[in-house]
Amino acid sequence: MGVVSRRSVLRGSLGLVAAGTLARPHIANAAAKTATVWWTQGFVPEEDAAFRKVVADYQKASGNRIDYSIIPFAPLRQKLISALTSGVVPDVSDIPAIQINAQEAWSGKFLDVSDVVETQKSKYLPTALLGCQFYNGVAKKRSFYGVPYKGAVIPFHYWGDLVEKAGYKLSDVPKTWDAFLDFFRPMQTKLRAQGMRHVYSYGWEISTVGDDPTNTFHAWLIAYGGQGLVTKDGKLHANDPQVREAAIKALTRLATDFKEGYVPPGAVNWNDADDNNAFHAKQVVIDFDGTISTEVALYHNKKEYDAIVTHGLPLSNDGKALPSQFFTGTATIPSGAKNVAVAKEFLAYLIQPKVNNEFLKGGLGRWLPAMPELTKTDPWWLDPSDPHRVAYVRQGLYSPTIPYFYAYNPAYAQVMTEHTWNVAWSDIVTGGMTPQQATDKALKRLEAIFAQYPIQQA
Amino acid sequence: MDGTQVLPTTQTVSTQALPGLRARRGLWRALRGELQGSEYTWALAFLVPYIAVFLVFVIYPVVYGFWMGSEPSLYANLFSDPIYLKTVVNTLLYLAIGVNVKMFLALLLSGFFMRPGWWTKALLMIFVLPWAVPAMPIFISIHWMLNGDYGFLNNALWTFFHVNGPSWLDTRWFALGSDIVSYIWKWMPFWTVIFIAGRMAIPQEIYDAAKVDGATGIRAFVHINFPLLANLYFVCTLLSTIFTVGDFTTVYFISGGGPAMSTHVLATLGVLQYAFDMAQPRLGVAAVMTALPLVIPLVILLMRKLKTAQVQL
Repeated sequence: MGVVSRRSVLRGSLGLVAAGTLARPHIANAAAKTATVWWTQGFVPEEDAAFRKVVADYQKASGNRIDYSIIPFAPLRQKLISALTSGVVPDVSDIPAIQINAQEAWSGKFLDVSDVVETQKSKYLPTALLGCQFYNGVAKKRSFYGVPYKGAVIPFHYWGDLVEKAGYKLSDVPKTWDAFLDFFRPMQTKLRAQGMRHVYSYGWEISTVGDDPTNTFHAWLIAYGGQGLVTKDGKLHANDPQVREAAIKALTRLATDFKEGYVPPGAVNWNDADDNNAFHAKQVVIDFDGTISTEVALYHNKKEYDAIVTHGLPLSNDGKALPSQFFTGTATIPSGAKNVAVAKEFLAYLIQPKVNNEFLKGGLGRWLPAMPELTKTDPWWLDPSDPHRVAYVRQGLYSPTIPYFYAYNPAYAQVMTEHTWNVAWSDIVTGGMTPQQATDKALKRLEAIFAQYPIQQA
Repeated sequence: MDGTQVLPTTQTVSTQALPGLRARRGLWRALRGELQGSEYTWALAFLVPYIAVFLVFVIYPVVYGFWMGSEPSLYANLFSDPIYLKTVVNTLLYLAIGVNVKMFLALLLSGFFMRPGWWTKALLMIFVLPWAVPAMPIFISIHWMLNGDYGFLNNALWTFFHVNGPSWLDTRWFALGSDIVSYIWKWMPFWTVIFIAGRMAIPQEIYDAAKVDGATGIRAFVHINFPLLANLYFVCTLLSTIFTVGDFTTVYFISGGGPAMSTHVLATLGVLQYAFDMAQPRLGVAAVMTALPLVIPLVILLMRKLKTAQVQL
């Protein structure tokens, strides 16, 4: 064996570097058929299994490879934001927080995927399409920066057994907004009198964490006539008296429920899952929470599952149908993705009606299809033996819907992440402001935020 | 003969480029030190990885951070955000109360743990547990203990005294107070151990001499311990303040910055709220950078104290 000299070490090192450099094209070629995918973990294992099946089927059909990671929504949000900031991105990322798509599309961080959407465009719910056409502040245009593959609306969920235990009949639930909410209010006292010391009537999300608190405010705002806060042209209508009045009513109602002790005090710190937890613990009689995750989490506990009532939005106080805000769930291709062709092919596969239907069904129907025809061709969606899914599908796909305000103007995504409306609620409850003062402060903040997002409408 | 023939050439070079050549040779010698031949190459080979690691993992992140927070408009956004201003107040309170109460109690407790007896040593072992166990599980436990409805604390109050305890995490001042108390509880043991080490370095003769003069108990503390530990106490307080400016864990797990974002400190506001909730990492970095006017003078002061030539504990 020869002596190891300085020269031989250096020569060997150079040889390794050269070999590595020359070997790289082969690795790159191999990677050309592989797409990296980041996906949001489901609330139930069935959702993840459904995604794995889609991947396996796609790999079999295409010969391509999907290198996927299934990540809980909060860490995925952080991972995605870090990736978009650093530029080291996956080929496909699911959107783990509802406003991120609009926010990052504004900064030009996602690729235009109109060609993928085009493959199934005619089949989508028009609101679903509106909900994923975002304004790109760099390219100065509005387009599809996410491929819609699921949808959601927000139903009420209440414990039928608690309603009856409190001495009420389910058939007596009122049809209009305020009467509907008032119906549940006295149940707290009646249930506490029966030994349920920690029970509260309402499980409203009123914190400044996650998406649910803003969703709650929006539903109340719309119920009181504030739907025109942001219009399709992207304009904010902070000075519209009807909008202001609706915001005041919404904040007053939510603040009063809390101040009078009908909402658990800890709700001021709840995250998106905590209202579900409180509901499952029967700490609250009624909750307002997106999707039917509340029910699906108890899917294998038949008794509890059947004890819940899923209820779409009541009518407005003057008896008109209220539109639900429809969330369009998207998967995106970040700018800088290496394998765009495979990424697009995979997403086009995912939204094929048959594939998409099986995928959403596999997830126990927690997410709605963004294509209503799936619920017409497959009786599973409206099977009366599952009242939760039927109520949910009817609310989301067969009743009036509107997109989230951020689809009209990305400024509203910032409003949601700043929790401007929930801070206003807190200003009333702990800051001593009147609802009028808190509303005016919030609207002023909205104006300041919207001024940072000049958009040109076609 | 050969030498005399070469000499004129050398002289020519010397006269034309002597200062530059000397400077280069001087620099070369300084770089090589006493290393001969291949030793220099080997030295470089061993040094380069460390320099590369330092550049990649120390210099690059710092420069990248400064670059991310370099836009002036970010600071305009920060100062127009009412939550930011509230956060600055919280951070100052957190530092002023948290650090000072913790250090002072640690100083007092270090005296207690210097008492002879096996039971004080056993107690010390239990006392350091909060510091020894990982922060995350204990802060999560405290968070649950403080839950207004189901938490251990309020249930105990109800069980033993039939008193409905306050919602510890649901109002700003209770929640911030909970953050500060948890922070003190977690970190006080560490500094107590440091002060015990400081006290152990004080020669017993000083105490004996003081005892002859009648200085025991509080008088010994005032006239011996405190003056001799003053420098250590000051340096530790500076260090602790610098560590605490960037403390994220306590507030994140105890109050989460809530309710209504009223208990954020700069670290949680920057990282949690701005960078990831609002998806504005640059704004998050800018928020954290606004602590620099406080941190830099503290670091300078610390360096100066560490240069003190006098023998001080």
